[in-house]
Amino acid sequence: MASQTVRLPLSLLARLSVRNLIRNARRTVLLLASVAVAVASVLVTASLIRGFQDDLADAVVVNLTGHLQVQAPGYRDDPGIDHRFELEAGWQRALDGLPVAGWASRIRVPAVIMSERETRGMTLVGVDAQAETISFLASASYRGEPLVDVNDRRVIIGEALADSLKTDVGRRLVLMAQGPDGRSREAGFRIAGVYDADGTALEKNFVFTGRTRLHELLETDAITELSVRLDDSGQLPAANAALASVFQQQRVFTWQELEPQAAAMYAYADLGIFIWFAIMMAALIFGLINTLVTAVMERVRELGMLRAVGMRAAAVVSQVVIESAVVMCLGVVLGVLIASLLLNFWLVDGIDLSQWAQGAEMVGMRSHLQPKVMLSDTVFISVLSVVVGVVASLYPARQAVRRSPLEALRAD
Amino acid sequence: MKSVIDCRGVSRTYADDGVPVRALQGVDFQVAPGEFVSLAGPSGSGKTTLLNIIGALDKADEGLVFLDGVDLAPLSASELSDLRLHRIGFVFQSYNLIPVLSARENVEFIMQLQGVAPRERAERAHDVLARLGLADMADRRPGELSGGQQQRVAIARAIVTNPSVLLADEPSANLDSATTEELLNLLRRLNEDQGVTIVTATHDPLVMSYARRRVQLKDGAIVHDESV
Ligand SMILES: Nc1ncnc2c1ncn2[C@@H]1O[C@H](COP(=O)(O)OP(=O)(O)O)[C@@H](O)[C@H]1O
Ligand SMILES: [Mg+2]
Repeated sequence: MASQTVRLPLSLLARLSVRNLIRNARRTVLLLASVAVAVASVLVTASLIRGFQDDLADAVVVNLTGHLQVQAPGYRDDPGIDHRFELEAGWQRALDGLPVAGWASRIRVPAVIMSERETRGMTLVGVDAQAETISFLASASYRGEPLVDVNDRRVIIGEALADSLKTDVGRRLVLMAQGPDGRSREAGFRIAGVYDADGTALEKNFVFTGRTRLHELLETDAITELSVRLDDSGQLPAANAALASVFQQQRVFTWQELEPQAAAMYAYADLGIFIWFAIMMAALIFGLINTLVTAVMERVRELGMLRAVGMRAAAVVSQVVIESAVVMCLGVVLGVLIASLLLNFWLVDGIDLSQWAQGAEMVGMRSHLQPKVMLSDTVFISVLSVVVGVVASLYPARQAVRRSPLEALRAD
Repeated sequence: MKSVIDCRGVSRTYADDGVPVRALQGVDFQVAPGEFVSLAGPSGSGKTTLLNIIGALDKADEGLVFLDGVDLAPLSASELSDLRLHRIGFVFQSYNLIPVLSARENVEFIMQLQGVAPRERAERAHDVLARLGLADMADRRPGELSGGQQQRVAIARAIVTNPSVLLADEPSANLDSATTEELLNLLRRLNEDQGVTIVTATHDPLVMSYARRRVQLKDGAIVHDESV
């Protein structure tokens, strides 16, 4: 034979697919519209969920956790001065080249407040106010004033604690804590300010003072935690490894390990994207299969003729698959366009959730939800949609070659 | 000379609703290169069945079928498909063309399946359409052509690959007698000038009158075979 048979004449198949789609313009437009709407809704949902996840992570990270925290072994189960460590000179070099927003070292110990009214346990944290730009201490609102630096000898307490102690800015507090030697020490502190931390547990239990002041009181130079905040949470694994290599005697925790509940919620939000995708695709698949089966039925004799004159069954199957893939690709492009219009105009300022603010705050959200578009989501959802389209076309494609060419030619 | 088509003792039985229908029984039939044969006979006599078996679209239950000396029996579905693509030109009674392709594209696509290069494809399509008087209609789709023109495009597609044999089942079924005569003149020219081997199945006396050999079928058997 003069020439070699082409098993998959792609340009011919693509032409036939596109021409048939154009021939049934109404049907094609309907199908395209439903693909586009489904894809757009998944993309918008995904970016809202990403925005929520960002808020959630921010809220956790800002509450002293940081993206990463270094602690002495055992501190997590028994947070106290017994599990302390010291920073070695030059440790920061480990983070060179990583997008670090800031870091803060703290000494955090259990303490007891003694007032005329009651004696109660709480947590006393010695901080460097200037390093705490990475935590809520910098952004919280205060009555009175915040701590000014590492040497500040005053304390700040939460609004909830001030309420229950019936104390306020300018008054004094007596605090008692144990030093590394096991001896209890007691000191009086003036209240510099009362902070408002939006109903978090911090407000009730956390009292902050200058780190130097607490070191003096407990007669130690050690710290109990080093918090590191990143500019780009995507670099978390790299930063984790870098810290672990410097602090080989200590333990490095991610915020997910320190706040497993928030981390679980974060992971469930991921699942939310997939569930919505699955629902949309399930709805779409029925329409898609239905339309393709109809398109195949209408062309039974045409497809029979093609096979009679020598087009292989595999090529006929491919024609249907290509038709579906073309619709899906166009639909995805349209869907991405619609989603980007929605996100750039309608949702450009985010969604105001203040009506539900209380409920939202409880699950770690802010009263304002800003969608966050992630290229990886867009690519993944687009590719997966086309894959779904191809898989859905397999049944109709199979129908196209179910009969022999002769039977197909004779069909009416 | 070696036969293009060589059928020996071919039988074909259909199980129609459980009742076996013997469409062909023990047919011996040879066609030499360059012949113009018409299979004649009343409706139901087995003309289409024989043509389908020769065209590798259907398989004989008994007997042997050779096309260009190739035994069809052991070939797989895709081998048969390739054989049809390269050696046979089909003209069907109706539904011959792809509605979404132009006349030119309807002629070209078969060469596309064969893997002919684009430039050669275009040249050959242009030549054959011109030869069949369709040069002006090359860019029209089937819906914009008359029945006779469509059938001519179908013949163009069938011969553009230089097949060993052109098979035409009731080619005049949907045409009026004037158009049928044009078509038959065309087939005669192809046969006489270019040596295209043609086998038609028809019960139309006009079609039979153009063939140089008439084979008469009755109840699935050849009852008469004459050359004129
Ligand atoms: N697919 C089929 N199923 C059952 N019977 C068939 C089938 N095709 C043909 N027949 C029967 O075989 C016989 C020959 O048919 P056919 O070859 O079409 O005759 P012709 O083309 O001469 O009219 C007829 O009795 C017809 O009913
Ligand atoms: Mg017939």
